[in-house]
Amino acid sequence: MGSDGSLDRDASRRADLNHPPVNYYGLPLLKRPHWKWEIALYFWIGGIAAGASLIAAIAELLGDARDRPVVRAGRLIALPLLLLSPLLLIKDLGRPGKFMTMLRVVKLKSPMSVGAWGLLSFGGISGLAALLELCPARQRLDRLSRLLAMVSAPFSLLIGGYTGVLISATAVPLWAKNRLLWGPAFLASAFSTGVAAVSGALALTGSAEPSTLRKLERAHRLGLVAEAGLIGISLLRLGTAGRVLTTGKWSSLFLPGVFGLGLGLPLLLGARASRRAPTRARVALRSVCILLGGLALRTCIVYAGKDSADDPQAYFELTTG
Amino acid sequence: MSVAAGRPVGFFTDTSLCIGCKACEVACKQWNQLPADGFALAGMSYDNTGALSATTWRHVAFIEAPGAGAPGAQADWLMLSDVCKHCSQAGCLQACPTGALVRTEFGTVYVQQDVCNGCGYCVPACPYGVIELSPQDGRAHKCTLCYDRLKVGLEPACAKACPTDSIQFGPLDQLQERARKRLADLQARGVRSARLYGLDEGAAKNARGEGTLGAFFLLLDEPQRYNLPPRPTLPQNGVLPSALATLVTGLLLSVGAALAFRRPSDKQR
Repeated sequence: MGSDGSLDRDASRRADLNHPPVNYYGLPLLKRPHWKWEIALYFWIGGIAAGASLIAAIAELLGDARDRPVVRAGRLIALPLLLLSPLLLIKDLGRPGKFMTMLRVVKLKSPMSVGAWGLLSFGGISGLAALLELCPARQRLDRLSRLLAMVSAPFSLLIGGYTGVLISATAVPLWAKNRLLWGPAFLASAFSTGVAAVSGALALTGSAEPSTLRKLERAHRLGLVAEAGLIGISLLRLGTAGRVLTTGKWSSLFLPGVFGLGLGLPLLLGARASRRAPTRARVALRSVCILLGGLALRTCIVYAGKDSADDPQAYFELTTG
Repeated sequence: MSVAAGRPVGFFTDTSLCIGCKACEVACKQWNQLPADGFALAGMSYDNTGALSATTWRHVAFIEAPGAGAPGAQADWLMLSDVCKHCSQAGCLQACPTGALVRTEFGTVYVQQDVCNGCGYCVPACPYGVIELSPQDGRAHKCTLCYDRLKVGLEPACAKACPTDSIQFGPLDQLQERARKRLADLQARGVRSARLYGLDEGAAKNARGEGTLGAFFLLLDEPQRYNLPPRPTLPQNGVLPSALATLVTGLLLSVGAALAFRRPSDKQR
């Protein structure tokens, strides 16, 4: 209390230049999510499954008979990944034995609830589609195959993109500051990695015609340009909050992993092959780069996001003004 | 004290009355049988707790302002008993995919321990960093506003223990009226830095601008000094725009991929 009984904290603080109000002893304001490698890995393989399934659906509905290997490869790649996904998610739970409570309610406001039901549905549909591919009577099941393609496509988009929406709906600075674009960026990455998995598998097994490989080329370019654009704009929108990715301890994985392996190298390898059909070796190499780049992207965003939750200044910037 | 189902109750924590005795921390730990958090001395004034956690549901913060206050005074103090805000628009509740987090008949936010599977999504969804997973049982824990005491018409343990009535419990409409009167009174007496946190300012609001804190505060300085976010947003406000942007991206990618597959790719056509 001052001598006249008043307590003017503003005046005392203005005078106290040696101790500018920062925050409370440098402690974080938020609690960081506990998610670790299981979640980063799930983001990656869920995305691949979604992208592979999507390109399979498009090839089934709009491609010709020569594109059939794309349908087969996409569906057979998606299924094992979708069988592994819930195992990773259940392992990550604090009480794995209670995993069924994920299906207790449907909450559209919660991306995790939507994702749990979406993954269940997509897994079922993909299971049917894969069984169809392995069925000896495959030739006579074209109508069913087209139906499954039409039903699976929207689920592919859901599974490919909802994880970006999920992280955006938190208070974590790295995720919340770019909340409009993480969903699109994850979906573009899912598309890229899915197409890469399919074209890589076809290149390794030699079971695709050159025309098919050229179509996949175009899909590749689309995916890479979309992904590069969305990640680039995301970094611009993030501003200082993005430093945890570009200059912090995750930059040594993010920059070479995402921009080098995931985007730059594939674009280079693809550009030189535009005049004639790419060799199988080049396609396979490019696929590996894109897949690893996708893993680097997911890993960095999960772990750097957790670090940003520990940073009081990043959160103050998000919640002031 | 009328504690009845259907009438929202909460806390008004008037930090101008807090003496930093930590009776609230002790009462909370004892009533809820919460484990100790270790016996480390943090070196942060009298605060050896640090922050709210899965096993600390009341946390008294101490801030020393050296050289502030009256001439000759060694330091001036800011003290605050932090707690779960029981937001009317609760990020944790909206994030929870299992429905473990619910709104009780008293308007409070409560974690049903038999439902929670420890997915941990509520943790980053809280704009105030309150709720946390316990490493011991893997589930999410936070202040229950003494749900068990409310059910039998008792006030929460911390409010009962507080010797200065810094922690005031009651129906929210009464508390809000009382708080505004107290603020006006303090400002008339020259305490210009006094402010309410959690009514108009400081509450996470939804897209329609609705939102107040069920546990709101009278602060004597900027929220940042107490590690409270000045203008937090409800994280779920981002769900709809994000979902729409993702859908548009998906449609564009699908159309692009469709064009890639429809165009004749042979040069001889």
